[in-house]
Amino acid sequence: MTFIKVENLRKQFDPPRGIVAVDGLSFHMDEGEIYSLLGPNGAGKTTTISMLSCLLRPSGGDARVGGHSVREHPQAAKELIGVVPQDIALYPELSARENLVFWGKMYGLSGAALRRRVGEVLEIIDLTERQDERIEKYSGGMKRRVNIGVALLHEPRALYLDEPTVGIDPQSRRSILDVILQFRDRGMTILYTTHYMAEAQELSDRIGIMDHGRMLAEGTHEELVKIVGEEAHVELTVDRHLEQLATAWREMDGVARVTVEEERAILLVPDATVTLPRLFETAAAVQARINEVNVTEPDLEMVFLHLTGRALRD
Amino acid sequence: MRAILALTGKDLLQTGRDRLAALFTFILPILFTVFFGFLFGSSGSDRLPVALLNLDDGAPAQSLITTLERGGMVELRPYSAVQRLGLEEAVQKDNVAAGLIIPQGFGSASDANVPSAPAIVVGKMGSSGSQSVMQSVRSAVDRVLGARAATAAALAALDLDSSPGSAEFQGGLAVSEAAYEHPTVTVIAEDAGTEAGRTPRGFDLSSPGMLVNWILFSLLTAAVALVQERKTGALRRLLTTRVRGIQIIAGKTGAMLCITLTQQVVLIGLGQFVLGVDYLRNPPALLLAMFSLSLLAASLGLMLATILRSEQAVISATVIISMVLAAMGGAWFPLEITGSTFAAIGHVTPAAWVLDAFRGVILQGQGVLQVLPGLAVVWGYALLFFAVAVWRFRFE
Repeated sequence: MTFIKVENLRKQFDPPRGIVAVDGLSFHMDEGEIYSLLGPNGAGKTTTISMLSCLLRPSGGDARVGGHSVREHPQAAKELIGVVPQDIALYPELSARENLVFWGKMYGLSGAALRRRVGEVLEIIDLTERQDERIEKYSGGMKRRVNIGVALLHEPRALYLDEPTVGIDPQSRRSILDVILQFRDRGMTILYTTHYMAEAQELSDRIGIMDHGRMLAEGTHEELVKIVGEEAHVELTVDRHLEQLATAWREMDGVARVTVEEERAILLVPDATVTLPRLFETAAAVQARINEVNVTEPDLEMVFLHLTGRALRD
Repeated sequence: MRAILALTGKDLLQTGRDRLAALFTFILPILFTVFFGFLFGSSGSDRLPVALLNLDDGAPAQSLITTLERGGMVELRPYSAVQRLGLEEAVQKDNVAAGLIIPQGFGSASDANVPSAPAIVVGKMGSSGSQSVMQSVRSAVDRVLGARAATAAALAALDLDSSPGSAEFQGGLAVSEAAYEHPTVTVIAEDAGTEAGRTPRGFDLSSPGMLVNWILFSLLTAAVALVQERKTGALRRLLTTRVRGIQIIAGKTGAMLCITLTQQVVLIGLGQFVLGVDYLRNPPALLLAMFSLSLLAASLGLMLATILRSEQAVISATVIISMVLAAMGGAWFPLEITGSTFAAIGHVTPAAWVLDAFRGVILQGQGVLQVLPGLAVVWGYALLFFAVAVWRFRFE
C-alpha cells in the first residue's frame, strides 16, 4: 500500500531565474519500505526531503504523506513523519535526556507518555547509561544516534533520514545502519538519502537515482544493475600480442564481448571467477604476459556512470 | 502554550549554563554602573570638599565652622597648622574645591568690635567650586559675626553686660542664633526637573544609564542563540515538528523577557540598596519601564537574528547597534548636558524614551500616567521590530 506519493514535484529557488533544485520528480513509497535516494551532492536529495518535511513549499507538483498533501495539509503530514537532518540538529549544552524531553514536547508529548517514550528511545539508541551527559561531550557517532532518536519520539509512521552517516567512523556507521534495519522490521516506512552506494545497496528495498533534480532511474538493486548488464567488466593489460589474444578470447566460451583500447583489452564476462584462469592460460600459450587485471562487478556506481557519464563521487 | 513554555525553558537552561552569558548579564553591568557612577562624580556626598586650617581657638571661629557644616554646601576637611602647604597643594591638585584659613585673632577681633582678621579662601577663583565656597564662607561669616554684633548691640541698648564672657551675652547670642535657625522669611531654591531640593548624583545618572545600556546589549544573547539554532539546523528541525514559527518567536521572546527582567531586578536592586538610587519611588511606573525595556531588547534581537545570516554578522551588528542606541539615547551621558540638536536626535532612538521613564521615576517620582507617553514610543518600536522578525521568519 502506497504511503508516500510524489507527483511531478518541482522546486525553484528565487524564481524565475533561480536554480531549479528539483525538476519534475515522481516516485512512490510503499508502507514499510526503505527507499533510498542516491545521488551526488547537489542532486536535489535534501531539497526533496525538505519539501516532503513541509519545510519548503514546492514550486510545482505535490506529495502526499499518508494521504495528506504537503501543500494543503502540512500540519497533518508532519504528524506522520520524523525527520533526521544531515546536521546534528541538537542543543549541545543539554544532555541527551534533556534534548529528548525538549523535542518530545515539540512533538506534543507530555507527562508520563513523554517520560516513557524518552526512556524507550534512550534504549533504542543505546545511550541509557550516558543519558545525563551533555551531548557536547559525546563522540560523533553518539551525537548521530541522539539525532536519530529525536525523530523517533512521537512514533512516526515514516522516517526521513538525510545522509545520517556522514562524517562518522565505520563502527558507528554500522551501528546506525543496524538501527535503521530494525525500524524497517517494525514496519516503519523509511526514506533514506545518501551518496554512499554501498549503504543504498545494503539497506534499500528500492533505490531512486537522482541527478540535477531529476530521477534518472529507480527500482530494486537488481533491476538497476540490469541497466548496465549483468556481466563483469574485466580489463587486461598485456605486454605483447594484444590483437592475437583478443581474437582468441572472442572465441572462448564464457566471454560475451571483447574490445581493444590502446594497450588494454576489455572483456564482458558472466562469471569472472571461472573465466579469469582460462584467460591467463591463453596468454601463456602465446608467450604473452598479463601485467594488470581489473575486475568490476556491475554495481550502482556503474549504473550512475552509465546514466550520466560521471562517477557518483564527482 | 505548552510548546512556548518548553521553548522558553530550554533557552533559559542554555543561558544558565553559559558562563560567558553570566559575565555579560551581571558582572560587567555591575562594574560599569559603579565605574560610571564615580565618573559622574559620586563620592557619596554632594557637598563641595573644602580644606580647613583653623588657627583660632575662639568661639566665633568654632561657630563659623559649625555654621558652614550645617549649611550643607561644603564638607570641611581639617588640616593642622603645619599642613598649610599641604592645603595649598590639595587645592592645586583639585583634591578639594577650595581651602579655608581662619586666622589667629579672628574671634578676638570680632568680639572687640574692631575690623576682623578675614577668613581666607584659597582656591582657583575662576572655578565655580571656589566661587561657591567663597559665597558660603562669606554668608557664614556674616551670620556668625552678625549674630554676635546684634547681641552686643541689644545688650548695650538695655544697659546690660555685653562682654562676650557674660551670661547675658551668651543668652542673647543663643536667641540670635535661634532666630537665624528659624527665620521668618525663607527662600527655597528648586532644581527644574528634579524633586524639590535634590540634585542628581553620579549614581542617579549612571545606574539607569548602564541598565539601559546592558539590557540592550543583552539582545546579543537572543540574536546569537537564534543564529546558532539556524546554523546547527535545530531551527529547521523545529519547523518539522508541530510547532509553528510564531510559537518559536513567542518562546524566544519569553526567554529574553525572563533573562532581561532578572538582569534588571539585580541592577535595580544594586542601585536601590547599595548605590542609593531611589528607583522605588513609584513601583508601578518602574515595572512598566522595566517591561518596556525588556520588550525592546527582545524584539530588536529577534529582528536582527532573522535579518542577518551569519553569527559573525549578528555579533558585529548587535554590538554596534546596542552601543549606538545606548550612547545616543543618553545611557552614557545625560542628554541634558548635550546641545538641543543632539538631544533631539537622541530621542529618535527608543533608548532615550525608556531612559526618560527611568530617570523620571528616580528623580521626579513620576507615575504610570506620566511615563506612559514616552513608553508608548518604545512599544511602537518593539511592535515594528517584532513585525519584521515574524515576517522574516516566514522566509526561513
